[in-house]
Amino acid sequence: MERTATTSRPEMVFVLVLLQSIFWMVAGISSIPFALGGELHMAALGLVSLLFALFVCLVGIGVLWRRRWARRTALGLELACLLGSALELGLPIGANHGPVALLTNVVVPAAVIWLLWGRTTRSVFS
Amino acid sequence: MYSISPAHAIGLVGGLAALPLALIALRFHPRWRSVPGTVQAAAVLMAVSGGVHLALIPHHLATQPLTSLLFLLNGIAFITLSATFTWKYWRLASAALLITTVLGYLVYVAIGFEGPDQVGIATKLVEVTALGLALVPVRGEIGRTHRSWRWATLGVAMPMLLVITGATVWIVDLARPDPRHVHAGALLQATNPFPTPPQVEAADRLYAATKTAILPYEDWHQAWAAGYRPGGSTTLPSTHWINQRYVDAGYVMDPQRPQGLVYANTHHGPVLLGAMFQMKGLNQFGPDPGGPITRWHQHENICITPFGFEFSLMTPYATCAIGAVDISASPMLHVWIVDNPRGGPFAVDIDPTVVAALDRS
Repeated sequence: MERTATTSRPEMVFVLVLLQSIFWMVAGISSIPFALGGELHMAALGLVSLLFALFVCLVGIGVLWRRRWARRTALGLELACLLGSALELGLPIGANHGPVALLTNVVVPAAVIWLLWGRTTRSVFS
Repeated sequence: MYSISPAHAIGLVGGLAALPLALIALRFHPRWRSVPGTVQAAAVLMAVSGGVHLALIPHHLATQPLTSLLFLLNGIAFITLSATFTWKYWRLASAALLITTVLGYLVYVAIGFEGPDQVGIATKLVEVTALGLALVPVRGEIGRTHRSWRWATLGVAMPMLLVITGATVWIVDLARPDPRHVHAGALLQATNPFPTPPQVEAADRLYAATKTAILPYEDWHQAWAAGYRPGGSTTLPSTHWINQRYVDAGYVMDPQRPQGLVYANTHHGPVLLGAMFQMKGLNQFGPDPGGPITRWHQHENICITPFGFEFSLMTPYATCAIGAVDISASPMLHVWIVDNPRGGPFAVDIDPTVVAALDRS
């Protein structure tokens, strides 16, 4: 096994952010049948989701390239995700509380924040 | 798909137990600190997957011995690879095992040997994440790193596996729902399997009373005057009109005050299809005089957009389109006053051909 000289946190974040990007891509694609059924707003949200998935993928590449803007954007994005998930899980609206929901909406964003947080990690981004 | 199969719950326990054990045990590996964090994380996640597979063996042993054997081999392979991360061919072996395991699960789900559930999907997510971490090249790696094939495999395998997994479990879940689920994740009330004669009579009485009570609303202006308003887009084939006053009052299956009316949106205006009774709280199924004929249903895991009250379904990865929110709708019972050949007067859905015919008439 090869050795490494620097931290691999940006690479870990890239994998997790790529995972999220694919989740949003799937969500965007899944709204297409409903849009075809006449739900015009869902068509718009599906398109926004697909564009957002692309944006998130680019943020992941930015993190991989150790770009400061990408780290900040990813942190903001994940904090927003966590806040949204907390609302969804906390309010009595019958949202799914299963292991997959917790994994994708809580564990992955929390892991990305943990990996990007701190002065040492920040120092590798330029 | 959105629930945990009782037979698989132990797998969740096995995976959660394996996580701290792997974190502690792998730290004692003499070369733990010499490998990148990506490799460390992949090793821990593979140990978690191994824990899930091993924990599932006892429950499957009696009924599915071959599956149990595969779980055993899979579990041992995962745990062995999680401990041998310094091996020259570790990445290749890990990638092959992870991809094979995910595809194997999908074959099992597709042919009906396993039902898709939360434990299965969560485990596949862990495995795809481990695959990404095992393959992603790290800056500053020394030695032969094979960056090109690792990037190529990562870029193809991760999206492909996630899309194929999502599509497979979703299609299987919609095509072969369990006995208490019907279309679009509607959870049916538990009842006796076959209606008794008194239940048939009670269902007939409920149908007659409801039909008589809502007939005046065939003129949608009267429904509007009574407080009913479209609860969604009127560009769709049909729309539920909701009376918020009746919803808030919490009337229980009162034919004089149904919480909703359903209209077909035809080119000559709204045509009344039926009524909808709705309970106030989630998981509170209403009275069921007709037994299996009049069982209530609760829509779960629907993504609703506040812009125009349109909905879609939550993906197997528990995500909705941006701007939509995952909710469940409290139990409801429809009474269709038009002929509904697919399902009858209390079916969860109206036959779309009926709505189309009304539009053409």
